[in-house]
Amino acid sequence: MIQVSGLTKIFSSGTKALDGLDLNVKDGEIFALLGPNGAGKTTTIRILSTLSGFDSGQVIVAGHDVDRNPEKVREAIGVVAQQTGIDYFLTGRENLVLQGHMYRMKKADIQARVKELAHYFELEDSLDRLVATYSGGMRRKLDIATALIHRPTLVFLDEPTLGLDIKSRKNLWTYVEKMNRELGLTILLTTHYLEEADKLAQRVAIINAGKIRITGTPDELKNTIHGDAVVLSFEQQDHATAAFAYTMKSEPEIKDTLWQGNKLHLYVANGAESIPKIALVASQQGLTIKSLALSRPTLDDVFLKYTGSSLTEAKEDTGDEWWKQWAGKGGGNWNKKWANEADETAGEVGTTVQETQQHMTTPNDTEKDAAAQPPATPATDTATSGGGSPWSPAEMEAWWKQQGGQPQWPTPKEPDKKD
Amino acid sequence: MLADTWYLFGKYMRITIRMPWWSLFTLLQPLIWLVIFGQLFKNMSQLPGFPTGSYVDFFVPGVLIMTVLFGSSWSGVSLLREITAGAVDKMLVAPVSRVAIVLSRVLHSAAQVLVQTLIILAVALALGAATSVNPVYIAMAMLIIFLLGVGFAALSNGFAILLQREEPLVMIGNLMTLPLMFFSTALMPKNFMPEWIHYVALVNPINYAVEAVRAVLVGTPDFALYSKGLLVLAIFAAATLAWAVNAFNSLRD
Repeated sequence: MIQVSGLTKIFSSGTKALDGLDLNVKDGEIFALLGPNGAGKTTTIRILSTLSGFDSGQVIVAGHDVDRNPEKVREAIGVVAQQTGIDYFLTGRENLVLQGHMYRMKKADIQARVKELAHYFELEDSLDRLVATYSGGMRRKLDIATALIHRPTLVFLDEPTLGLDIKSRKNLWTYVEKMNRELGLTILLTTHYLEEADKLAQRVAIINAGKIRITGTPDELKNTIHGDAVVLSFEQQDHATAAFAYTMKSEPEIKDTLWQGNKLHLYVANGAESIPKIALVASQQGLTIKSLALSRPTLDDVFLKYTGSSLTEAKEDTGDEWWKQWAGKGGGNWNKKWANEADETAGEVGTTVQETQQHMTTPNDTEKDAAAQPPATPATDTATSGGGSPWSPAEMEAWWKQQGGQPQWPTPKEPDKKD
Repeated sequence: MLADTWYLFGKYMRITIRMPWWSLFTLLQPLIWLVIFGQLFKNMSQLPGFPTGSYVDFFVPGVLIMTVLFGSSWSGVSLLREITAGAVDKMLVAPVSRVAIVLSRVLHSAAQVLVQTLIILAVALALGAATSVNPVYIAMAMLIIFLLGVGFAALSNGFAILLQREEPLVMIGNLMTLPLMFFSTALMPKNFMPEWIHYVALVNPINYAVEAVRAVLVGTPDFALYSKGLLVLAIFAAATLAWAVNAFNSLRD
């Protein structure tokens, strides 16, 4: 249904939004694009739905090239964007009818279709009320209904449940599943709710920095994380903990280690058996474990592995600051200046650190002070030396890398070729 | 394209009719001006060389044009709102004619000011203005007003797309309307103006509109003057509309 290869998109600001993205969505499946804010999810949807142009690559949607034949693509797709786009001062029916006219449907056909969709989405009772009186969940349903008016074969849902309460979200999920099962619609949805992707999608692609990192069924993705996840946090934050992580890294029983903020994730074959050993090593090295949790791998772990940040803790997208649009357009280049300053500060504490992670840590004052001055080179057998100024996790990482530790985020496996 | 324009036009009209207070509010300012300027400049008509008997007669075409300017120059603001709300994207993913999206907005705005100017004209007549009540002449004046409304609504929509923000758009809206109005014979007859303003008025579409409306509504009809105004405004409306449609088509990032 969708074949995308080598899709690259550079914004006029110079930001590379998509960087050689490959994507393949099969007929009749629910496919989820999972990624943090700014990963390129919405940009991808906008290009696939003919709203945005792109710089290079090939995009075939519903059998048509979006660049050469956008009209054909538009007729085959339905789009539910993040903003609802339905008119608040029209009734539900008027919105649906207008949308039907936009697709140049016959009047009788529109009437029949409105009736059908109103029944399907249980909007019959409120069909002749102004949309302004609808609840958020009802607006979403109406929005989806308008996108289906012309019987598309492919539907894009961009963060369909964003801003809905839990009940409306669950309700919407059943509709998405129903649409896929009963109407045979192919659905491409973007989300940053892991459980949404896990529950709805037959296949999931993790997208970060404009690239697809991995594609597979939710189970396949979880299997790329070996065994159980043991998550530790410590009383102290210093090079002793970094050294501990380093020791763990070289332990054959530990498949993978990851820092997420001040939490250390250790992936082991059998969590229950490994916990006593891990605790023993920690106490031998003079560390006090603050908390310890054992979990089956979730999509969050996969996500952490492939994007370097945890989705559940990533901050919400607050949108662009208003001045960004003016920066460089005679409004001065303050955003560049600020961005540079931010980069410099980030540079001080290690370049591999994702911004989100720095925000996720809870820096107490001493950590902040420590961050201002470069860390002293620790002795090689730091494990027992204990003392020294407390480090932020970012600094520990930097040091850890200096010690020859593996790059923290393993390079992603090639996505399945047959996709 | 025409069908698309018609349905979208219908949508905007329906929304406007559901918010009648908003349309009434935009009437308030020209009404106040009609009363205040009518009183303030009353004695100007006694100056030698003033073209009409009373100032209000002279001023009615001016206030009609003001109504057009205040009514249509903000059309772009609601386009920005529609862009932010995702309504424009929703139209763009449908195979709707791109021209229709701009055209329907501009036509709606022009239709709206048409109704407003008719109300203002009625009020002016009720206040004792001695302008023509011949329906043919009024229709001719309304044609000018419609074209001017199309032109300024198109400019506002075009700037909205170029600027992408409300604040500078409002500023440009002010800049387009107020100074240009003073550079026309809306308030002051031509022979009372300094000479350099004559030259500015020569390239000012608002001036042509005021002159043309005055040519048919006040005193003896002057069809030569009217035709000149009609021609200029037809060109103005067509050019701004083409520009706005072009700006809209380049919106795709």
